[in-house]
Amino acid sequence: MRYAIRLKITYDYPSAVSDARHLLRVRPRDGGGQVLERVEVAIAPRPGEHTREADFFGNGVDAIAFFAQQTELSVVMEAKVAVDRPPAPLDASPSLDAVADEALHGRSAEGASPIHHLGPSRRIAPLAAVTAYVAETFDAGEQPAGAAVMTLTKRIRADFVYEPGSTSVGTSVAEAFAQKRGVCQDFSHVMIAGLRANGIPARYVSGFLRTEPPKGRPRLEGADAMHAWVDVWLGETLGWVGFDPTNGILAGDDHIVVAVGRDYSDALPIAGAFVTAGPQATDHFVDVVPIP
Amino acid sequence: MRNHVPPEPPLIRRYATLAAKGRDEMIAPGGGVRPHYAPLMAKLAPMAESELGRRFASSRQYLSEAGVFHQVYGEGSEQSHEWPLGHPALVIDRDEWTTLCDGLVQRATFLERLLADLYGERRVIAEGVLPGILLGRNPEFLRPLASQGKGSAPLLSFIAVDLGRGPDGRWWVLGDRTQAPSGAGFALENRVATSKAFPDVSRALNVERLAGFFRRFREMLFALGGPERARIGLLTPGPHNETYYEHAYLARYLGLLLLEGGDLVVHGDRAEVRTVDGFQPIRVLWRRLDADFCDPLELFGGSRIGTPGLARAVRSGALTLVNALGAGILETPALLAFQKPLAKALLGEELTLPTIATWWCGQEKIRRFVEENAARLQLGPAFPGAPHFPVMGETAARPGSGGQKVPATTREGVSLVGQEIAALSTAPVFGDKGLEPRPVTLRAFLMRDEEGWHVMPGGFARVADSRDARVISMQRGGGSIDVWIPSPAPAAKPVTLLGPKGDRFSRRLPGALPARAADNLFWLGRYAERGEVAARLLRLHAGRAGEGWSEGELEARIATILEDYGVEIEGGHPERGLLALARQAADTASRIRERFSPDAWRTLKDIVALVLDAIAEKDEDVVGLTSAILTHLSGFAGLAHENMYRFTGWRFMQCGRALERGQATAAVVSALLSGEAPVGALEALLTFTDSSVTYRRRYSVNLSEETVVDLAVLDPLNPRSLAFQINTLSEVTSALPGVHLGETPDLLFRRLARLKVRLQTADAVEVDSAFLDRVVGDLALISDLLTQRYLLSSPRAAAEWSGGPE
Repeated sequence: MRYAIRLKITYDYPSAVSDARHLLRVRPRDGGGQVLERVEVAIAPRPGEHTREADFFGNGVDAIAFFAQQTELSVVMEAKVAVDRPPAPLDASPSLDAVADEALHGRSAEGASPIHHLGPSRRIAPLAAVTAYVAETFDAGEQPAGAAVMTLTKRIRADFVYEPGSTSVGTSVAEAFAQKRGVCQDFSHVMIAGLRANGIPARYVSGFLRTEPPKGRPRLEGADAMHAWVDVWLGETLGWVGFDPTNGILAGDDHIVVAVGRDYSDALPIAGAFVTAGPQATDHFVDVVPIP
Repeated sequence: MRNHVPPEPPLIRRYATLAAKGRDEMIAPGGGVRPHYAPLMAKLAPMAESELGRRFASSRQYLSEAGVFHQVYGEGSEQSHEWPLGHPALVIDRDEWTTLCDGLVQRATFLERLLADLYGERRVIAEGVLPGILLGRNPEFLRPLASQGKGSAPLLSFIAVDLGRGPDGRWWVLGDRTQAPSGAGFALENRVATSKAFPDVSRALNVERLAGFFRRFREMLFALGGPERARIGLLTPGPHNETYYEHAYLARYLGLLLLEGGDLVVHGDRAEVRTVDGFQPIRVLWRRLDADFCDPLELFGGSRIGTPGLARAVRSGALTLVNALGAGILETPALLAFQKPLAKALLGEELTLPTIATWWCGQEKIRRFVEENAARLQLGPAFPGAPHFPVMGETAARPGSGGQKVPATTREGVSLVGQEIAALSTAPVFGDKGLEPRPVTLRAFLMRDEEGWHVMPGGFARVADSRDARVISMQRGGGSIDVWIPSPAPAAKPVTLLGPKGDRFSRRLPGALPARAADNLFWLGRYAERGEVAARLLRLHAGRAGEGWSEGELEARIATILEDYGVEIEGGHPERGLLALARQAADTASRIRERFSPDAWRTLKDIVALVLDAIAEKDEDVVGLTSAILTHLSGFAGLAHENMYRFTGWRFMQCGRALERGQATAAVVSALLSGEAPVGALEALLTFTDSSVTYRRRYSVNLSEETVVDLAVLDPLNPRSLAFQINTLSEVTSALPGVHLGETPDLLFRRLARLKVRLQTADAVEVDSAFLDRVVGDLALISDLLTQRYLLSSPRAAAEWSGGPE
């Protein structure tokens, strides 16, 4: 599948901000079942500094800074991406116990290594209730990890209500789990917390979903804005495999990966620090259209 | 050969019985004094109790005068306490010290290589020496700096190692301090204070001096900055940190700029300091701020005390931090369980200094061992603490909490270690009944320059307040003592930080003032003056009541002005308002203690104490209290005026003071004389402006409104008049940075000039409430302009996070 993707993020600062520094993680990744054919990032007003770099996890980062006062910010990312992500052979994956063991004894420490995704992170603390929820889904440690995680993905989809506005970006794992509702970020955080506490490496993925579904298939939730799902490490051979708990499916040809990290705070599209006395309003627009 | 053994004096005899139970620093197993303690005891034993008391007092007096105190946290408030320094010093035998130093230098080299590897090739993980999860789950592994070890800049330049002497007589490493080790400044202060008490003794023992170490350290910092010898900064979390005092002290002692995160800004790849004279580059920072707080953009986003972009500046090589961001990973307790294989892999040899026995519960065999031996081990976290990281809710086995729970699986065990409970040696410390044996730990300090690692000849020794040595903590009532390394011969020449005699003398002007420091000085001037105005008005009010005047119009007007200062007459507790004002001044001063004399700072603290006492004792003598406050404030003003270097900082303080006094004078004159002036208003004005004596000398007529107004508002020679404040402002601001003769003055100076002319040309009859209220407004505008131009460049960076997926 090939897509033309357009992301537009705007900010309005009624009382002006100054000394603003931002890190943007909006460029789709190249590799891992997708090829980035073309990408452009346009920023207005023109930043005082603009550097492109890659972070520890290999995400593309645009580091920008503004020294003059500004009352608005607009970021437009346009890309063409080809996705070819055949479903992973879940039943052929090693057992849960084998995956946990392999992860613990891995000797790679670089960005793609599972060792970075086994413990708590800034936004994800282990929680007894979530640990138990996942453990009871995994009834036996000998079952293939891929199949077990798929069962969990579907269970989250069934047990949780997708309801934009019911949570905020600051909602904790505990709150989201208690109210059993939220958005993709909440479901992903809950799933990651439970997997890690059971010894399975899991990381946060931010990206895009195809906006309009192919004929005869339902529209996926989360297609109007940036989406989030979970990468699970299924052993050295299969590596990282994407699961989308919001929709109860594997991340396939409709998913375009932008950034991965330990949780939302590693992958958020715009991180910023600036000086302001007033409020801000933000708007977010995504369009993912299949092209020939 | 005579073999004369003198009888042990009672002081030592008694101590020897007390210390007999375990390993003691002074008493050998047979009960005799160890040779390296003998010269000290020979001096101390004959001293009468009264003499010892006198000596301890002189050390206490030094500490109090120098403003050394320490914060105790609890009950939701911070309290300053007397610095708990004990006597005598811990004496360490010279030969033993030399061996210890070799071990410490070897350990520092080991730590340096380990850090470079963890932030470089990560060979120890690839080769299976260290389990990867100890890196992957480590909150101190900072991924934005993950490759910094591949560069040439040293990641480690100043460390501390905590040591305890075990029952076998060897020094054992209890832990490494590499994040932002504290205590070196306190070690210095302890040395000075101990020398005040026992100058003759420390001389007789030829105690090795500390100054050489600090001098070398300062040279190293400058060398890191390159050949221009640009200013070096000390990065502090700010006044609310428990070791802020030490930061301020070391900054002053070493001649470093004391900087907070908000003082810095990153332009391109360079870090710069916001000063009243624009941005100035900085290349080296001695970091006393925990790494995760340093950059809200790339590290902990919730930090309000960091600098956005700092990690970039470090990555680019334009900024060097001592120690590097992420050096705190070496404090990971679980690393202590892998010392042997790590040393073999990184050094190719064994470490000569043993470390406290530690077992990491992330491996099944070892977890079971810990389980079986739980009774004699202490369980603790495997990773360094990061308070803004989620707490491990389920497996929180806190050290020393009793009923320790050994994790049932290695999955939980990953975050836990078991450690041997350290049986520490004891050292003699004077208590209520003479010398008492107290468990002791020693913090040794090391620094690295181009020649290699150097150990501070001394250190920071902590003693417990009881024999139970599980926890030695200043927060829990323990104390500290100095550490002496005696030399056989006196040092060739005392070393000071003043530089060798041959250095060509040059008077260097201090560098540009950081905007935050200027802001604090400006507000210190304002707050001190605000306190004075309120105290004067309150004394006036109380004085009239005391003289039997019935409460009338004049009292009502004064009470209204006082309300503006937060001082409520109505409720009968005007002291509370005074307390708030006094605290504002003292708090502001404590934020810039490195910039003026400890005496001036103490004066402000004394005022707070004065008001607190009055409130506690329900003392209703308001006149007495306000008079005492005014005496202290004039003492403060005098100290600031007489002792402060006439540079930019002093000018900002003067500006604040003149602005506040000008505004207050105009407001009070306007309020008291508006409409029909009440009876006694003129006398009250003269009292408020402290001008009664001058008035009687200058005007031989009876009180008239015109002459009183002339003296209080227009007379340029009366230091309390409005005109005098405006002239002061104009004079002081003309020497501020960026003001040049002949240039078109900006709005600030035009406004000030216009105001000055208005007061010079006004006639006393024109001065009515409307005139004065306009002056109050003009002064407020001038204050805003001054703030915008010089002070506002140090904003409180509000880190905002935005952009969420749905």
